[in-house]
Amino acid sequence: MSHSTITKSPPEIGPSKAWTSTGRRKVTSTDALRVVILVTSALLALIPIVWLVLGSFKTPAELSKRPPTLLPESWGLSNYTEAMTRFNFPSYLTNSVIVTLAATLLTLAINSMAAYALAKYNFRGKNGLFLLTLATIMIPLQVILLPVYQVVASLGMVNTLWGLIIPAAATPTGVFILRQYMLSIPDELIEAARVDGAGEFRIFFRIVLPMCRPALAVVAILSIMWRWNDFLWPLVVAQSEAVYTLPVALARFTAEETVPFNLIIAMSVVTVLPVIILFLFFQRQIVTGIANTGIK
Amino acid sequence: MAAVQAASRLRQPKAPLKMRLVPYLFLLPNMAIFGLFTVWPAINGFNISMYSSSNGRTFRWEGAGNYQRILTDEDFWGIVRNTVVYALSFVLLSVVLGVMLAVLVDQQRRGRTFFRSVFFVPVLISPVVAGLVWNWMLERQNGLINTFLGSFGIPEVPWLVDNALAMVVVIGVGTWMQVGFYMLILLAGLQSIDPSVYEAAKIDGASRWRQFISLTFPLLQPSILVVVVLATIHGFQAFDFIYTLTGGGPVGATTLIVQYIYENGFVSPIRYGVASAGSVLLFCAIFALTIVNWMIGRKREAA
Repeated sequence: MSHSTITKSPPEIGPSKAWTSTGRRKVTSTDALRVVILVTSALLALIPIVWLVLGSFKTPAELSKRPPTLLPESWGLSNYTEAMTRFNFPSYLTNSVIVTLAATLLTLAINSMAAYALAKYNFRGKNGLFLLTLATIMIPLQVILLPVYQVVASLGMVNTLWGLIIPAAATPTGVFILRQYMLSIPDELIEAARVDGAGEFRIFFRIVLPMCRPALAVVAILSIMWRWNDFLWPLVVAQSEAVYTLPVALARFTAEETVPFNLIIAMSVVTVLPVIILFLFFQRQIVTGIANTGIK
Repeated sequence: MAAVQAASRLRQPKAPLKMRLVPYLFLLPNMAIFGLFTVWPAINGFNISMYSSSNGRTFRWEGAGNYQRILTDEDFWGIVRNTVVYALSFVLLSVVLGVMLAVLVDQQRRGRTFFRSVFFVPVLISPVVAGLVWNWMLERQNGLINTFLGSFGIPEVPWLVDNALAMVVVIGVGTWMQVGFYMLILLAGLQSIDPSVYEAAKIDGASRWRQFISLTFPLLQPSILVVVVLATIHGFQAFDFIYTLTGGGPVGATTLIVQYIYENGFVSPIRYGVASAGSVLLFCAIFALTIVNWMIGRKREAA
């Protein structure tokens, strides 16, 4: 209900205004049903996460209670501190952060340069390269897992962070989003800078890139979300414990049942929270980025 | 003399060599990584599916042998069946629930952004954690869900123990994780519909259900098509949350094609040839289905 309702329209008198958008609407049974469905769905969406966070404060004894208790007896952080000290948890966390940040920076750098060439230059093979880039959106990593692994193995990048960072950095979707955005930058601007004697790379870094901030933000956020949660590729490349990322460590420890469950829960919360916080801050960019491109 | 003139005439309109190189220099880093880690492997994938290996280092030529082996393997057909059951149910559920949620959120005035964000939260969560939490909540003896159902007198449900129920759970959790993403695409589609098309229907006294069937649904079709295409691709790729939810069990009842490829390729006993033949078949399936989806979509638009 907008502000205008409060300031302009008098209290409801008759049903005549019921269908207009500015009038005070009667609460019908359809409205009530809608709210009930929405609230139920919202609970279904959130309960697993709430349950996880609550569980992260429970002691092993509490976790094995029958029936399970809803709220923890105390809100102590012992699961978190224990996970931090008893396992190589800080190392998995660091690996995840390094891989996510380095991969995102690399993606931004190489995608934006490629997008600029495809948007603002005419050269032989331009359309062919652009189509090739688009076509590979159809080829997910799952399908080329083994041949990519062979390349990475022959370069000696198995069990290195580089092996996690580099292979998927040249995202076709990033090139696509940035190219579309750069098409809207007027050519005259670039021409004027050329006339003033600015070099091609200087124009790119000083004029084009700063103008692309909104598109760069979308690509960066999507890249961070994807890299942080990525699992199959790290599972394949990070075979030794020293290069585990958080999801790989969690999956391996859960499967092997070597780590107490209360610590697994604490690690899970640490894995989940950064992305949710990022989303709360950059909601608008994420929502418009996905709505416009259909890409996650 | 004439040749020199012709040559200089040809060269004249072109920019200096240095300028002509610039776009290629901009493209170089991206295309080098892209070529080495995407394009080349995509081509090489067909090649290595003709070889077999049990260690990933020494290879033996097999020709079509891997395909012969995989197509006559009963396990493989079980996995194909699981994957098809999962993907079909996932696409159907995602579209139906996605449209439903999008329409409800769109009509909701108070708290629209709130609901939109809440439905998106599961999309953000690490799939590994999602599988782990649901596994925990669905525990047979002391899980949250069975405890809740038990308070209504419902006996313990063997969610992750029964083959068919485990598949239902995997489909449900897969949809739970993704539906908020599809809802967002559909919501953008709904909001691009011109509100004036509803005015006439309202004046004619058309019911909300009638408006949905004859106005909203047809106008939303382009967005629905996008969701169907994406959900099909996602459905055939499902792996990460299943790894921690059921691990593919009980006895392979929820093992899908990507897990089959991963296990044959990287978990001993390694059957490299079978894994790469499976990858090629998965690629063909995704490719064919995407084309079919687009063709159906275009036919509908034309009609």
